[in-house]
Amino acid sequence: MPSMIAMERDHALAKPAYRILAEKLGEKILRGTDYRGDLAITVDRSAWKEAARTLRDHPELDYKLFLDLCGVDYLNDESRPDRFEVALHLYSVTHKHHIRLKTALPEKRPVCDTLVDVYKGANWFEREAFDLYGIVFTGHPNLTRILTHEDFVGHPMRKDFATGKRFVNKKAKEWLLTVPKGSEHLVLNIGPSHPAMHGCFRVQALLDGETIKDAEAEIGYLHRNFEKMAEERTYWQIIPYTDRLNYCSAFINGHGWALAVEKLLGVAAPPRAEAIRVILSEFSRIMDHLVCISTNVVDLGAITPFFVVFRAREEIYDLLDSVCGARLTVSYVRIGGVAQDVPDDFDARCRKTMGWIREVAEQLENLLTRNIIFARRFKDVGTFSKEDALSYGWVGPCLRGSGIGYDIRKDHPYSGYDLYDFDVPVGSVGDCYDRYLVRVEEIKQSLRIIDQALSKLPQGPFITDDRKVALPPKSEVYSDIESLMNHFKLVYDGILAAPGEVYGYVEGANGELGYYIVSDGKKHPARVKVRPPCYNIYQAYPQMIKGTMLADAVAMIGGLNVIAGELDR
Amino acid sequence: MGLLDIITGKYVDPTHFKSVHESGNIITTTVDAVVNWGRKSSIWPFPFGTACCAIEFMAFTGSHYDVARFGSEVLRFSPRQADLLLVAGTIVDKMGPILKTIYDQMPEPKWVVSMGVCASTGGFYRSYHTMQGIDEIIPVDVYVPGCPPTPESLLAALMKIQERIKSGDQAKRPQGEHRVGARAEGVNDRRERREAWAHDDASRASTGLDPRGRIHFKLTEERDESGNGSHHA
Ligand code: SF4
Repeated sequence: MPSMIAMERDHALAKPAYRILAEKLGEKILRGTDYRGDLAITVDRSAWKEAARTLRDHPELDYKLFLDLCGVDYLNDESRPDRFEVALHLYSVTHKHHIRLKTALPEKRPVCDTLVDVYKGANWFEREAFDLYGIVFTGHPNLTRILTHEDFVGHPMRKDFATGKRFVNKKAKEWLLTVPKGSEHLVLNIGPSHPAMHGCFRVQALLDGETIKDAEAEIGYLHRNFEKMAEERTYWQIIPYTDRLNYCSAFINGHGWALAVEKLLGVAAPPRAEAIRVILSEFSRIMDHLVCISTNVVDLGAITPFFVVFRAREEIYDLLDSVCGARLTVSYVRIGGVAQDVPDDFDARCRKTMGWIREVAEQLENLLTRNIIFARRFKDVGTFSKEDALSYGWVGPCLRGSGIGYDIRKDHPYSGYDLYDFDVPVGSVGDCYDRYLVRVEEIKQSLRIIDQALSKLPQGPFITDDRKVALPPKSEVYSDIESLMNHFKLVYDGILAAPGEVYGYVEGANGELGYYIVSDGKKHPARVKVRPPCYNIYQAYPQMIKGTMLADAVAMIGGLNVIAGELDR
Repeated sequence: MGLLDIITGKYVDPTHFKSVHESGNIITTTVDAVVNWGRKSSIWPFPFGTACCAIEFMAFTGSHYDVARFGSEVLRFSPRQADLLLVAGTIVDKMGPILKTIYDQMPEPKWVVSMGVCASTGGFYRSYHTMQGIDEIIPVDVYVPGCPPTPESLLAALMKIQERIKSGDQAKRPQGEHRVGARAEGVNDRRERREAWAHDDASRASTGLDPRGRIHFKLTEERDESGNGSHHA
């Protein structure tokens, strides 16, 4: 469809980012598209760094928030001369706009410039692209494996790497830090199995007394290959996998996935489904914040809030259980809607749960907010500036704690968030205490959203009737041959998305959770890249703790709410 | 008739200890039974939580399900102080050596519960970096199915361990030889260790020494009712 491509290009040309880059780089801009509203610009690899720098520094563009960088393998795509591609996602907080910058790399020598000196957050992402795809970034300070273990051979995300091929890891990596010769400092290893490291991250710190001189982090202890598995599953089958990304708020991940696929397909869920999704997303957000706060203070020695909070959590679990039959990993969302309608007493159940949450949140605040010990441990600890937060790609409560009020629910409303009235709390200092306050306030705002969504809950279908996307109802399958065939075809062939790529995003409990989906028209996606909020947040952690006391480092990690499932995928 | 007899397992007629017996409040039993009873009611778990299952594990320790009812609320984050390794969550190859080290560091007797399908079989992650069940490297005594298992089933697993401790069962030998995939170097095979011990005992016996670790009791005196005592070795 040449006309369609031309139209896309025209749209892209009209965007300031394209215009400015074209002025600056001229011939080196190879392509600009606007597929499904995602501005994507392909540049020649010689202009890679310059393009990124222009996007960041040009006052009209101001793409300061680094979101994601990943490799893509187009082994089976004959139309492309080059096998690999690197895709960079950026966001401009001032202009409220996402952009994707891409460059193609040949199979023989997949080499391109590093962006570490443009965006601090690029460091780990480039290491990941090196680890999984073997793409080399010249000028990178430490281009080593990050997710897989040291004994691993090959680059597993390449299309010609067999999914099940494993290598034995004999010995854990011992040194993350280089200790200066003759140094008398103590090297302390924290994690991956350590009570303060919720999940399995690892930090190694060089201690001078109790002060941390140097620190380095290691991840990948839960790298269970969501992205590789997703390339072998249909769009439906990926839903349960998404639940296990951020398992503290499983529903939001599925919500994000459904929205991303719906964007790719160009379908929409009916209003009732969207409202149900909003309600459950907000309950999940509350649950996530409650767990974050309570486990954070457990690390500091206060165990009571944990027991208080888990009462409310159990109530939310019961609610989810009544809706879909699972407590934690819900798998309730479907492409184009939700799996089934909510029970008749949904409203009453939600309101009862809300009552519990109110009570618990109040108790929690009484226990903590004005507690002098807690305040002393949290105030002015782990202060992180706006600029650093953007450069590392912080999002969600952590970014808002640092004073930037970027919330996708407000700035790019999805699922009808624009129908509800709520506020976005923003911190002023950027320390642990601010992050805590933001989370507490978000719990209250979430309750407000749920309240409005419940009272406005529309009637109607809970899933779209687009038969290319959603299964026909069982009653029709049993009584009608057309529906039976439709059901069979859809289960057998899966959803077939037109070739193209989109970046779908939602406001997860930890911030912008994005899915970059590349479809080649087959039933499995060709590439799924999760943009995990924790990855950027945790990357900054070793920098944050340098120069602080060891005990403060423990106070900080809990408040960042790093979830291993999402971090390592 | 003395303490030594009890320890070495000889039948002791309780009526010999008249003064104690007549005052009531005494239960006669074997040491094994008492020790097992003690062990069973105070299992200290080491939570090796890595992923989503750890969240349900938290519910299991939380106020609603309250594992304290079973005497296991003392979570130990040091393997040296724990006797139950509770593996909750996916174990990937990179984590393998760490899990193995922790298992080795636990003192015997030790038990292992594998919580969830990921720890048991790799679950629905059949891919390049996920261990297909922790029994590739360590023995597992109870497998808990589910993704994640409910806290109830985890409680059931705990009770199963309790039952087995009570009946004097031993924890499982390492398995895993029959499985494809990684078996980390120096896997802790208790059979090998027992053989090594037997060998050591035999060589010591041939030089007239007692086996290592045998406790020698030196009971000074055993008194009869009237207070006259005789020396025992
Ligand atoms: S068994 Fe399921 S819930 Fe448990 S760690 Fe594995 S994926 Fe997560």
